[in-house]
Amino acid sequence: MKPDVDLTAEKTGGVRGWLDRRYQLTPLFEFLRHKEVPIGSHWMGWYYLGGITMFFFIVQVITGVLLLMYYQPGEATAYESIRFLTTKVPFGWLIRSIHSWSAHLMIISLTLHMFSTMMLKAYRPPREMTWVSGYLLFLLTLGFGFSGYLLPWNKLAYFATTVGTNIVKSVPLLGNWLLQVLRGGQDVTINTLYRFFAAHVVILPLAFVGLIGLHLLLIQRQGMAPPLGERTAPRGMKFFPSFAMRDALLWLACLMALAALAVFLPYGPGIPGMDWELGEKADPLAPAYPGIKPEWYFLWEYQLLKEFPPHLFGLEGPQVCLLLIAVLFGIWAIIPWLDRRAYQDKPSPAFSDFGWAAILFLTYLTLMGWDIGARGISDELAALHNVARVCAWWTLAAGVVVIVVRYLRFEHRWFILTGAVLLQVALHGLAGVSYLLAGVISVAVAAVAIVISYATRSRAHSSDSR
Amino acid sequence: MLEAKGANGKPIVSAEDQAYFNGLNDNLRALLNDLVQKEVITRPEHLATLLGLQLRSQKMEVLLQNRCILCHTDSEAQSAETLFSVPTGSNKPAAHMNLKEIVEDTHFRRGLSCAGCHGGDPSADFGHDFVKEWPDKDRQKNRGWVVQFCARCHSDPKIMHEFNPSLPTDQLAKFESSPHGRTLLEQHDDRAPSCVSCHGVHGIRPAKDPQSKVYAQHVPETCGACHANAKTMAGFKLPDGSPLPTNQLAEYRDSVHGRALLVRGDLGAPACNTCHGNHAATPPGVTQVSRSCSLCHSANSSLFDGSKHKLAFDQHNWPECGKCHGNHAIAKTHDSMLATGPGQLCGDCHRQYAKDHPECIRTADYFHDTITQMDQARTKFIAVSEKLATKGLDVDPINNQLTELGDALKKSRTYVHSFSRNTFQQVAAPGEEAVKRTDTLVSQAGEEYKYRQIGLAVSIALIGILMLAMYLKLRQMEK
Repeated sequence: MKPDVDLTAEKTGGVRGWLDRRYQLTPLFEFLRHKEVPIGSHWMGWYYLGGITMFFFIVQVITGVLLLMYYQPGEATAYESIRFLTTKVPFGWLIRSIHSWSAHLMIISLTLHMFSTMMLKAYRPPREMTWVSGYLLFLLTLGFGFSGYLLPWNKLAYFATTVGTNIVKSVPLLGNWLLQVLRGGQDVTINTLYRFFAAHVVILPLAFVGLIGLHLLLIQRQGMAPPLGERTAPRGMKFFPSFAMRDALLWLACLMALAALAVFLPYGPGIPGMDWELGEKADPLAPAYPGIKPEWYFLWEYQLLKEFPPHLFGLEGPQVCLLLIAVLFGIWAIIPWLDRRAYQDKPSPAFSDFGWAAILFLTYLTLMGWDIGARGISDELAALHNVARVCAWWTLAAGVVVIVVRYLRFEHRWFILTGAVLLQVALHGLAGVSYLLAGVISVAVAAVAIVISYATRSRAHSSDSR
Repeated sequence: MLEAKGANGKPIVSAEDQAYFNGLNDNLRALLNDLVQKEVITRPEHLATLLGLQLRSQKMEVLLQNRCILCHTDSEAQSAETLFSVPTGSNKPAAHMNLKEIVEDTHFRRGLSCAGCHGGDPSADFGHDFVKEWPDKDRQKNRGWVVQFCARCHSDPKIMHEFNPSLPTDQLAKFESSPHGRTLLEQHDDRAPSCVSCHGVHGIRPAKDPQSKVYAQHVPETCGACHANAKTMAGFKLPDGSPLPTNQLAEYRDSVHGRALLVRGDLGAPACNTCHGNHAATPPGVTQVSRSCSLCHSANSSLFDGSKHKLAFDQHNWPECGKCHGNHAIAKTHDSMLATGPGQLCGDCHRQYAKDHPECIRTADYFHDTITQMDQARTKFIAVSEKLATKGLDVDPINNQLTELGDALKKSRTYVHSFSRNTFQQVAAPGEEAVKRTDTLVSQAGEEYKYRQIGLAVSIALIGILMLAMYLKLRQMEK
């Protein structure tokens, strides 16, 4: 029988040759040698964010495995094992601290990566599936955050998880069933911890590794997206070694930062929702205490839920809110198909504006979730008003800076959605209009503005063609 | 009658009271029916008053068999003075005619109702003359009869056994022996209290009932009603002939005991009767003061009893605990009480009364210095421990030592009452050891933190060198 590969045919010597004879690596090396990263008119920095996110994920895997060597899920062991790990195990404190820091930094870099992709319209054909796979990776990352939070089985995590899982009760029809599936019973118990543990260390990592494989494969097959309108003649930077070395340099810088943060701020920067001091052990019989808040990346949802009245349109308020959040997430997932202009490789100012509007929308809610402006005010209602006012000023200031920079630096001229968000912020924070009513007014104003803008443009267009 | 409606169209017997009626047992419903048929209850308003009390069935049965109350609760048949009603807002009935109080009375609950004291047959019609006669024509003039009257039952073990076997029957004997009793019974001074002054008249509740006038938290107010009133106390004198002061209540309220009982609600804290007794209320004599205090502060007391001070205080005829801590105005103790400087407790007393014993001053200084040092060390290390915890260091061993130090400090403060250097040293030594161990642990934690920082610096340097090498290589390749 003829062998598959002629092992006797000497091509090159050494390990490379040995491997090549068996696995035919030459085409792969050739591919990598010729691979280029497009250089365009935009800042190259955006291209590194995906790599940085992957670095943090790798750190998560390594530190996670190390934590797993000591962590023992269980009523009498979960909290105790983490305590033992951080106080008695050599460098246990460092591993836990790096795991926590890396988790938050991963979400930050992932969010920046997602928004930069969105702003640069890198999702346009043929890269729609890269966007979708990245979007799913983002959801999985949030799942990692939520499930990992409960594992130390401390008081804060216990109550935050109780509040967090309670939200699924609002899902129509399936709510109660979903809650039971999520919690492994009616309440958050040690069964919930087992579930979250399984999800955190098996289910989510398997799904994540599969998806990240797909995401990377797509990027390798299609290359990185060139800037909009520069599809034809991109200059290139060699992926090997130029881009890869730069990537590696950045990874090392991140490693440095992680080490320094873990030593100097072992329990986080002290921002609410970004703090992982172990504290007291969870006590399911203890009463929940006020002021329980989720991690910072869930704060906007938490704040949005708070802005909804108990009942709306004959439905429960949280149900409507959940529906709204689902719609927003849904729109975000199918952006590549919605953005028709980017599809044709033309500038799509409306979607750039949509991206900025989303950032400002999230900013305002997150700032309010942090209760910025509530300090020193004892009256609850007065504090709420002041929080809305102070956060509105910050958001409006940020909004103005964004608009001015976009106008002058990027020559953007389409600000309807950003304007609508700022209008809502001003109405709610400064004029005292309820958040929802302010939202409805802003959406209506934006709709009218968009209709007028299209009508004017199509009239101009038709008179031009005439 | 249950469904009758008032002028405003609303039911006179509320839905809640109707529900209560429906929940009554057959016997009570039959009793109510009987009363309606006998025309004792003729109007829905009257029925609403009775049902509105929402009494438990046993009490309701007592009530429905009591003709006195049944007649006196009918607003149409009674005048404002004789009506027993439930106070509602501004409409306050005369104090002893408060229906709610009457049915809550501990005697009423056990079936001893109006006739039990006032006489007559409550199940039959009778005149009212006996009430005016009862039990003494001059009853308003000389209140001494009250104690004898209550004692008819309360001093008779046989009678009391039927109702409450655990209740003592020596109240009258104790009262007679007390200054209160002597003033009332021998000097016939009506300013002195009788049973009703403290327990109330209609609406007497057990002392454990939080609404009782003699419930621990109400005792200071009840005693103070007379003792804080300069007019009532005018003319009463202390054994030394000085006028009886009236500032006890004010002093007590501000004292560590008063705050514990009245502000913190600690029912273990003493009220007036804890030290003075109740029915035999008497100021404790000089020798009895420490016995009163030792009821709670037994460790301090037994240490004092074995100390040199015991003998000295006895010679001077000083009230032991009271000499340093005071009586009604006992303030929270402070370590500075041990100081020996001018104007300070130990020093002043010793310079005046024990000039020939300079070693005592040295002992007091030793107590003061040891306790102060431990206390300061504890405060300092607690702050250090919190700071180290935020740096992510393991502070459990430090906190364990601090717990030990806290225990030793508490014990040392108690063992001051031995007034003996050796005895004190035995309990203070573990505390001093804990301070030393904490100090070592804190410096170890500091070194651990330094080690972490050095480790970080080395790691950053290594990574930095690697980065530099990579950067140079990259530049070289890109050339």
